[in-house]
Amino acid sequence: MSGKRTLSLGTSRRSFLQGGAGVAIAGSFGLSFPRPAIANETTWTLANSLRSLANPYHATFAKGGADFAKTIDAKYETLVTEGNSEKGISDIKALLQRTGGKLILNVDPNDSPDARVIVDEVKKAGGYVVTQWNKPNDLHPWDNNPNYVAHMSFDGVPASKKLAQVLFKAFGGEGGVVAIGGILSNVPAIERKQGLDMAIAESGGKVTLLDFQPADWNEQKAFDATQAWLTRFGDKIKGVFAANDDMGLGALEALRQAGLAGKVPVVGLDGIAAAVKAVEAGEFAGTVAWDPLWTGGMGLAIPYAVATGKIDIAKEPKEHREFYGTSTIVTKETVAAFKSGGSKLDFNDLWGKATGQIQYRG
Amino acid sequence: MACCGRVFTPGRSVSHSGMGVALSRASVESIPLWTRWRSWTPVAVLLALCVLIRLFSPNFLSLSNLVGLLNSASIPLVLSMGATFVILMGSIDLSIEGIVAVTAVLVSLLVDNDVSSYSIGLFAVPIAILVGGAMGFANGVLHVKLKIPSFMTTLGVGFAGIGIATTVLGGFTARISDQSIRFLSLGRVLGLPVAAWIAFGAVLLSFLVQERTRLGRWLYAIGTDEMTARHAGIPIEKTRILTFTIAGLFYGLAGVLSVAQFGQGHALISQGRLFTTVTAVVVGGTSLSGGVGSVLNSVIGVFVVTILANGMILMGVAPYVQQGVQGLLIIVAVTLALDRSRLDVVK
Repeated sequence: MSGKRTLSLGTSRRSFLQGGAGVAIAGSFGLSFPRPAIANETTWTLANSLRSLANPYHATFAKGGADFAKTIDAKYETLVTEGNSEKGISDIKALLQRTGGKLILNVDPNDSPDARVIVDEVKKAGGYVVTQWNKPNDLHPWDNNPNYVAHMSFDGVPASKKLAQVLFKAFGGEGGVVAIGGILSNVPAIERKQGLDMAIAESGGKVTLLDFQPADWNEQKAFDATQAWLTRFGDKIKGVFAANDDMGLGALEALRQAGLAGKVPVVGLDGIAAAVKAVEAGEFAGTVAWDPLWTGGMGLAIPYAVATGKIDIAKEPKEHREFYGTSTIVTKETVAAFKSGGSKLDFNDLWGKATGQIQYRG
Repeated sequence: MACCGRVFTPGRSVSHSGMGVALSRASVESIPLWTRWRSWTPVAVLLALCVLIRLFSPNFLSLSNLVGLLNSASIPLVLSMGATFVILMGSIDLSIEGIVAVTAVLVSLLVDNDVSSYSIGLFAVPIAILVGGAMGFANGVLHVKLKIPSFMTTLGVGFAGIGIATTVLGGFTARISDQSIRFLSLGRVLGLPVAAWIAFGAVLLSFLVQERTRLGRWLYAIGTDEMTARHAGIPIEKTRILTFTIAGLFYGLAGVLSVAQFGQGHALISQGRLFTTVTAVVVGGTSLSGGVGSVLNSVIGVFVVTILANGMILMGVAPYVQQGVQGLLIIVAVTLALDRSRLDVVK
């Protein structure tokens, strides 16, 4: 048996290298290549950096960026971190190098500390950057004029509180709920749990939290957890709160297996298409839509206005530098309006959908 | 003598060696008692787990929970059948998630759905399984012909698979409305979910391949000692390619079942499957170094992993503790099941 081992070890270095090359080639097949638009009007290159194109939120985010780039006829690229901070930062450095600093970057940093490195790099190169969702609390755009243009986010606490109340209303305001959370250390996961807790506290004891399980934003884990809950709590479960739509859909399928789809209401956050359909079908009581098209487009439109001298960002008030976007609660009543609302964006109305300065909680 | 035998599969009293030399009953008896018992430890772990959970939660053995467990276990079961063959051979297959993603997206686009206009119903099932097989074939050919370690080949094919699935749907989800596909998960036959029957069929088929075909014997031979197997005239390369292809077929079937379960297809549908599958195979007592184990061991392994996850929620174990318990269980199960007499080198 050790013969096999030695044999494979003898050739392993070369095979390993070949393997690496194979992986690189095979991997690149799968990636969607950045599509530089035919460009000439502006010398600025626009780029969105995000986690992965494999989820609807970021796919729409990227589309928002491409839409804006088209309106000004600029070169546009999407950088994908694949959840790897190192890759995210080195891709940005490479792009800064290639564009000679003439880069307008809209980045959803993979992790909060990444934002500081990215802002420093962009500043050094003379580009402009907007960050989304994640940044250290003590890093502010106004301390890095003019290159660090703005930070955008959505406030998960009030949105998830309102959503939880929609859920409670759907089952008559009294009874037990089970809740599925995201990755325990993620800021949105913490905020969404906070919102739920606030709503439960405000119900004055009428609504109780039967159990809370993190399912790491994963549909499959949510499915399994819900199935176990159905055994443990049975018809004590009046509603299911999921911290994102994917997990909500997993829970919904577990309910369907038990013949409870549409009878036990589910809510999720993010407003992905499948969840909106479930709202229409009466199986979801509601979801929260964050508007990634706006984030993806406006995160480039604002720094572009700065780069082209249309606005002097240093003179803008703080609520234009760190701000929340508009979230929409989609329920059975509002779903038709939400869908027909379309996704036409006015790229000249830079702060039209901003809803107040970002708050730092505890 | 233990070095060329394999772990006795549950329900079998006499093991035969992978080299085609049947062990006599006498030689089985000469094996130390503990070695013989060791092969049953996964079963013991499973039973202990069931008893423990039952003590805390009377609902655990209720019919609805058992049906739920079968439901949760069916996809991991199908996946672990393919993975067991590969691991028995001493290789590893990391392409599980990629192949499931491609086949799931393919199925969701071929049946009645909200993205494409195809609607071929159950005909999508064989197509998806064959595509899974083709990707497994690619694994095998790249691995054998280019002499790339299976670890790298399958990692590459897996990444490519996720990439293809992502590109095809552009990151979005195809929601299906085809009831014939949904029936594979939601339907009940004799009170049990159709998916569970399919998983049962997959296990039976794998068991027959393992026990009744030359391929099954060759797997053990290659996993135990490839040089000897080569000298014995076993077509190593063909066997390897065929095994990866068969594994791909199972992953394709799991892709179909994933779509049936969630009513949708997207690139991330298989997230987390690789880890659970390999864990289940190893916890079941199949050795990562090859040559030891059985598809039946993997069945036990899948149930250990599934029941543990289910039981911790039933018992109300704090979420923070659950992962720690899972990690501990894996170490305990492997410690108990590992036959150290075969290990000259640990790496």
